[in-house]
Amino acid sequence: MIEQIREKARELLESGELDVVIGYAEGSDPTRTTPIFCRKPEDTDKLVLDGRCVNTLPAYLNKRHEYPKKGWKKTGIIGKGCDIRAITQLIAENQLKRDEVYIFGAECEGVVAHPEKWDGSLHEGNCASKCSACDVKIPLDTDFYPGEKPEVDRSGPYMVSAPALATLVKMDDEDRFAFWRDDFDRCFKCYACREVCPHCSCNICITDRTMPSWVDQAAHTKGVFGWHLTRAMHLVGRCTGCGECTRACPVNIQVDLFNQKMKEVIQESFDYKSGYSMEVKPPLITYNTDDQETYIR
Amino acid sequence: MRTATLQKNDLDRVIDLLSQADYRVIAPQNQPRLDGPDSIDVAVFKEIQSGDSHNIGEGLSTTGIKPFLFPKDEPLFAYENRGKKVVLTEVSLDFPKTVILGVRPCDVASVSSLDAVFSDKNAGFNDELFTKRLEKTTFVSYSCTEPDVSCFCTSVGLAPDSDKGSDLHMTELPDGTLHVEVKTKAGEKIAAVIDALLSGDGDAVARQQAGVAAAEKITRLRDSAPILPWLQDLGNFGDEMWQRLGEKCLGCGACTFECPTCHCFDIVDENSGNKGYRVKFWDSCQFDHFTLHASGHNTRNSQFERYRNRFNCKFKIYEDVFGEKGCVGCGRCIRGCPVNLDITEYMAEVAHKAAIPNAMSADPDFE
Ligand code: SF4
Ligand code: SF4
Ligand code: SF4
Ligand code: SF4
Ligand code: SF4
Ligand code: SF4
Repeated sequence: MIEQIREKARELLESGELDVVIGYAEGSDPTRTTPIFCRKPEDTDKLVLDGRCVNTLPAYLNKRHEYPKKGWKKTGIIGKGCDIRAITQLIAENQLKRDEVYIFGAECEGVVAHPEKWDGSLHEGNCASKCSACDVKIPLDTDFYPGEKPEVDRSGPYMVSAPALATLVKMDDEDRFAFWRDDFDRCFKCYACREVCPHCSCNICITDRTMPSWVDQAAHTKGVFGWHLTRAMHLVGRCTGCGECTRACPVNIQVDLFNQKMKEVIQESFDYKSGYSMEVKPPLITYNTDDQETYIR
Repeated sequence: MRTATLQKNDLDRVIDLLSQADYRVIAPQNQPRLDGPDSIDVAVFKEIQSGDSHNIGEGLSTTGIKPFLFPKDEPLFAYENRGKKVVLTEVSLDFPKTVILGVRPCDVASVSSLDAVFSDKNAGFNDELFTKRLEKTTFVSYSCTEPDVSCFCTSVGLAPDSDKGSDLHMTELPDGTLHVEVKTKAGEKIAAVIDALLSGDGDAVARQQAGVAAAEKITRLRDSAPILPWLQDLGNFGDEMWQRLGEKCLGCGACTFECPTCHCFDIVDENSGNKGYRVKFWDSCQFDHFTLHASGHNTRNSQFERYRNRFNCKFKIYEDVFGEKGCVGCGRCIRGCPVNLDITEYMAEVAHKAAIPNAMSADPDFE
């Protein structure tokens, strides 16, 4: 699979059709892979694609990460199904044009939940929970796919994947609040959860604004709650469920649980699943003159 | 100074005795986590009470001891507008007598790196919030026996058994006992409190061997000293390697906030109504607005420039300005980086550029 992708990537870099191919290469220890920007055809020899490829590479197509400054006319990107879902969502939100990117996809067998759990293979104990409810193992929209792409029915509703969410929902309000208060005590506001997210695309995040300051910048209880609740709301109907925010958090705060819960709510209220259509806009960023709610018209 | 033997399962008794002697005791503890494959084990230093479980001697904690000397946020003073008058209230500098137990050698060595910044030794200003805490803190360090793949203390002049900055140092021996070495007056006080648990004068030979055996397990070997001249040559500031290696950096502050020596902070007024606090809190040179001027000009306008700063801060600026280690080789910035940006790859690359042999001896793949 990766051989065919390497070959195609090399060909398109050689012909000049692509300026760059963003993919994964071997990391600095055997449990990890690392993002790589292939500019020269021979760079494609370094590409790998396996269960250690955790990063959501479309974060690099996000203007927060200097994407427009790179001056790439056409960007190749290797994506797992969930990454391609993120690209689809970026396009739906007018953050990217479809013809700016060339998408390499392949059938996905899942990824490890965290590099530290990699023991040479992918299995039930170390596979990310998002993969258990995944309907994009065969990716949605690709420009290059090795072999024939089978049709897949993806009409089902959004499914919460993290078992931890069931535990949390069962707690009473007080216990749940205590849980988050204790967990948030570790948050030092490094914003790794924001930076890895393909959909945290604001040039200046509201938490970084100081005139006025909307959210306390310091990582005390108020500042941390302020950050996480704001972030959860800003991703409603936009999060494509890649789980990277949780995976990237150095102190194991499972931030994506908020986003998973809100995905469920958006599914129930608006019958909307983010990342499945470039045309249908996320409900909370659209304006509709015949909205059934009068306060919004 | 005194050496002795302590039984490892007496560590709980050590905590009891120190608590009874009015020490606030801090120790690494595993944090509770939710079920499911997505969560990982995290250990952090926290205040511990008698009977609480701890994980002293079980790997390097996810975050270090920095928060007990330089908290992630703290008020500098409170203010209140009363008509035409502003009333200021100072914060108390009366910090509790504290002992931090089970500190790894890299972490305890990092204290002097922080001290270089916050005390008036070099900086000409004494940040009492730091120095007064430090005066009240005793460090009981604990040699490593199982360094992991990201550890590289031996590349920065330290070792899995070094006791730099320690008041009382413990080393676990193959027979499960702890070899105890008193290093300072503050350490003597600890030894006096736990005297009933100490016996004999230890086994200095076995302790030495344990250190050597641990050091042999370290696989990342990048001698940091020879890369300094290359970094000091300003002509190399524009070298192509900075962009090539740093391009993937996403600009989160994970590496800086997990780092025991990173010390940057910001100050802001948190106002509510007519009163509030002036608050000091951690900042990171990896953030895009860290060097943003009021004019809108940003002196480090791209992410790779921000990581170039971080690397130079550790291996050049610290050496030039403080004559101290900026990096203690704990490897946290490697473990915690979401994109596997690896500081030792920069070290190897610089060594390669400067044509220094041996510096990348453990890296046969390096082209
Ligand atoms: S969620 Fe699906 S596409 Fe994404 S890594 Fe898991 S199995 Fe692959
Ligand atoms: S990644 Fe973790 S520690 Fe960093 S801001 Fe997010 S929740 Fe807090
Ligand atoms: S919020 Fe988290 S899970 Fe959702 S898209 Fe962003 S990084 Fe992925
Ligand atoms: S090096 Fe890694 S941890 Fe540090 S800012 Fe860049 S992406 Fe974040
Ligand atoms: S730079 Fe990295 S390895 Fe060095 S002390 Fe900081 S976190 Fe540890
Ligand atoms: S870097 Fe050295 S001292 Fe620090 S945890 Fe690893 S082996 Fe121990």
